[in-house]
Amino acid sequence: MKKYDAVVIGAGNGGLAAAVRLLQGGARVLVVEKHNLPGGFATSFRRGRFEFEASLHELNDFGTADNAGDVRVLFDELGVTDKIEWMQIPEAYRVISREEKLDATMPFGVAAFVDRMEQYVPGSRASVQKFFDLAEEVRLAQAYSSSVNGNTDSKYMVSRFGNFVRSGSYSVNEVLAALKMPKKARDILNAYWCYLGAHCDDLSFVHYASMVNRYMMRGASMPKMRSHEISLAFVERIRELGGEVWFNTEAVRILTDEKDGGVAGVVFADGTQVEARHVVANCAPHVVYGKMMDKVPAEEVRATNARKFAGRGFSMFLGLDRSADDLGIENHNYFLYDTMDTVRQYERMRTIADNDVQATVCLNRADPDCSPKGTCMMYFTTLYMSDDWANVTPQEYYKVKNSVASRMIDRFEQDTGAKIRDHIEEISVATPMTYARYCGHPQGVIYGYESQYWDGLMPRLLMMGEDHRIRGLRFAGGYAMRLSGYSSAYFSGEIAGRQTVGDIKREG
Amino acid sequence: MAFVFKKQIFGFMDLLRFKKLVPNRRKMLALGADTPLPKTYRVNETAHILHPGNQKAELIGIELVAPDTKTYTFRIERPLYFRAGQYATLGCRVGESLLSRPYAFSSAPAQGLQCIVSFTVKNAGFFSGYLFESAKIGDVFTVGDPSGEFCYEPLKDAKHVIALAGGSGITPFYSMAQAIADGTEDFRLTILFGARREQDIILRGQLEKLLSDRVRVVYVLSDEKKAGYEHGFISADLIRKYAEGDFTVMMCGPSAMYAYEDEQLAAFGLPPRRVKKEANCVASRDAAPKQYTLTVHIGAETYTVSADARETVLTAMERAGLRVPAKCRAGGCGFCHSKLLAGKFTIAGADKRRLADAKFSYLHPCCSYPDSDMELIVPQG
Repeated sequence: MKKYDAVVIGAGNGGLAAAVRLLQGGARVLVVEKHNLPGGFATSFRRGRFEFEASLHELNDFGTADNAGDVRVLFDELGVTDKIEWMQIPEAYRVISREEKLDATMPFGVAAFVDRMEQYVPGSRASVQKFFDLAEEVRLAQAYSSSVNGNTDSKYMVSRFGNFVRSGSYSVNEVLAALKMPKKARDILNAYWCYLGAHCDDLSFVHYASMVNRYMMRGASMPKMRSHEISLAFVERIRELGGEVWFNTEAVRILTDEKDGGVAGVVFADGTQVEARHVVANCAPHVVYGKMMDKVPAEEVRATNARKFAGRGFSMFLGLDRSADDLGIENHNYFLYDTMDTVRQYERMRTIADNDVQATVCLNRADPDCSPKGTCMMYFTTLYMSDDWANVTPQEYYKVKNSVASRMIDRFEQDTGAKIRDHIEEISVATPMTYARYCGHPQGVIYGYESQYWDGLMPRLLMMGEDHRIRGLRFAGGYAMRLSGYSSAYFSGEIAGRQTVGDIKREG
Repeated sequence: MAFVFKKQIFGFMDLLRFKKLVPNRRKMLALGADTPLPKTYRVNETAHILHPGNQKAELIGIELVAPDTKTYTFRIERPLYFRAGQYATLGCRVGESLLSRPYAFSSAPAQGLQCIVSFTVKNAGFFSGYLFESAKIGDVFTVGDPSGEFCYEPLKDAKHVIALAGGSGITPFYSMAQAIADGTEDFRLTILFGARREQDIILRGQLEKLLSDRVRVVYVLSDEKKAGYEHGFISADLIRKYAEGDFTVMMCGPSAMYAYEDEQLAAFGLPPRRVKKEANCVASRDAAPKQYTLTVHIGAETYTVSADARETVLTAMERAGLRVPAKCRAGGCGFCHSKLLAGKFTIAGADKRRLADAKFSYLHPCCSYPDSDMELIVPQG
């Protein structure tokens, strides 16, 4: 039987980063991926003369060489930055909400953002500036926390990062209210909430503030050749470092050691096995404990059952046979909502019948050459906050997905004034079934476990140590300690990889 | 820090709240149910019907539908549901080789849910020749995922589709006609069906049962003049006779037919979104015979196989009995996506790879001819 120090199950963003970290730590590593491509959601696909980005709207916290974000620093350390051609997204977002008749376009840059907000909402400057001051303290506190591997000195934390600790247990809305931010400014500032997928009464302030601050400080980035370029760069790096990557290879079982219940090996769908005392699982604990392990500790079963699935994904991809200018598509990144009351909006996103939210990108606004001259391409994404798609039968499936896609087109045209319907040259639609198919996630979830108040970023990070209950098994990706999103998944992979290197060294 | 954040009257109360984050989460995790975690989920089960993966298929029916064409009907293990016009790979072991070929479903999507699928195959090559001569009832094959985008797209296509079918290129349209008849699809389909002689028209009886105000078939004979048939090729004039207003052209047939139809369609000035072509399998190339060596890494194994300059890299690997991924055989689906470590190759037709694939030296073996010895990492099939 072939023997490795560690097997990484799943070549998604978390698994790829974990593999590089493990290899840098001297481990013998095998990455197995059930699909024929790396990246999980981080991929692209061709239709006619278009190459569509499968999921990445914009990479947060990357920045430029002279204004490097934490993700760029991580990519530098992992040795992948220079394998990828990067470009910057021109502006932050345009948010349109019907109930409030809100239509605001926000720039990157903290100062520019505060200024623009003051234009839209006179008198908002002080509270919005305070938001960014707080957010910056959050960032510094997080940097300190990771520099000491989460073993923070609480006295130092309180003295140095008092505002972070004092705001750290509150939701977004609780903190914004305490800052006395005018309602319209809160509405504009909360536009990114759908990127984290929990409403702002539940979503942890530090999680949200950290993300917004990083967008404003560093701008947002995209690889020139879609996220597939990042994923292939990681595979290249893994092979450079002597790691193996096997595609079309589904891990079906994790073998355990009789003595300590820890990891002993991995079995693949074709029956072959490899020996390994360490696994980094870039998939849901629900999947690992539901069908890949015989004996799961009762505590782990309870903990997994306690968690809530976050948004189930739906995306429409359009290749249009006119330029963005011709069609009146003015912006790169749109958020279209019914209401900025995120609690009510979240409720409406439970069902296929009621959900009309969309986060929409026209990639040509970032890269005019991403599609042939005289064309443009767009992708539209929404989340479902329940399993309504489970009620759709195979016979109804194509009709339902086309009707949702059609509503998305109507909504975009009505809210922005652009005209796109008569210029569709290529269309592709991904539903929760599509995400379930390619990545194996339960119910087509794309956001891991929801960032509920009790299960938010801070308590997850603070409990990383005790959440690790099975020897040799660590998790990376959207279900792990850093929650979902590209940047978070890369970080979780780095953490899981680094911790596994430590585990291996301790074993000697 | 310019200000002190405070939510409650006393800042220490905010600190205490922070300290409770961990005990609170600990308590919530312990409150989870002790029931075993699910093995499957409903969305994933539906996904498994839409994309069931390779499965065993027992041959249960063979019907001669023209002198050189037969319809093969299979019972599959698990239900599948496809879009009319899609194809699947049909595969089996022939001698030392593991072979598969993509064929459009010629059965209706609804039958797939009953675990029945059919393919109508013309005896025209190595694999179809094997089917024609050797396949018998009870033989076990594999059937792959429903694949391809040669389907009616209600959000972009016109309400009226003009189908240009050549020979066995009728099969996806036959599936569409059935789907229109049973209410699965909703559009008007006019099939201009080109054949050489009357006797070469396949599936005629089956098609005629489906004729309605939604489905129309016009036979176009190139080598015979007969009453009740159009004569010649499917020309611009002929298309004009049956197409009015806004229409989408879908064509399925041999490459020579596509070249001819492109010329005929030029007169209509249709935008690219109004014309769809089903891709054809990449054939061998016209080159001098020359032998190369392929070093192929699949999982933990390394194989050395010989390849002829005239055949695709995929064909060489299949001939050697390697279990390698194959689906569209036209360079488009990316299923055989493989990493090139060394060597040179030529792509048949347009390069349909992703941008980053070219940058990092990936290729699609199904549409690549070897120009030297090559070393590749190929996913297992």
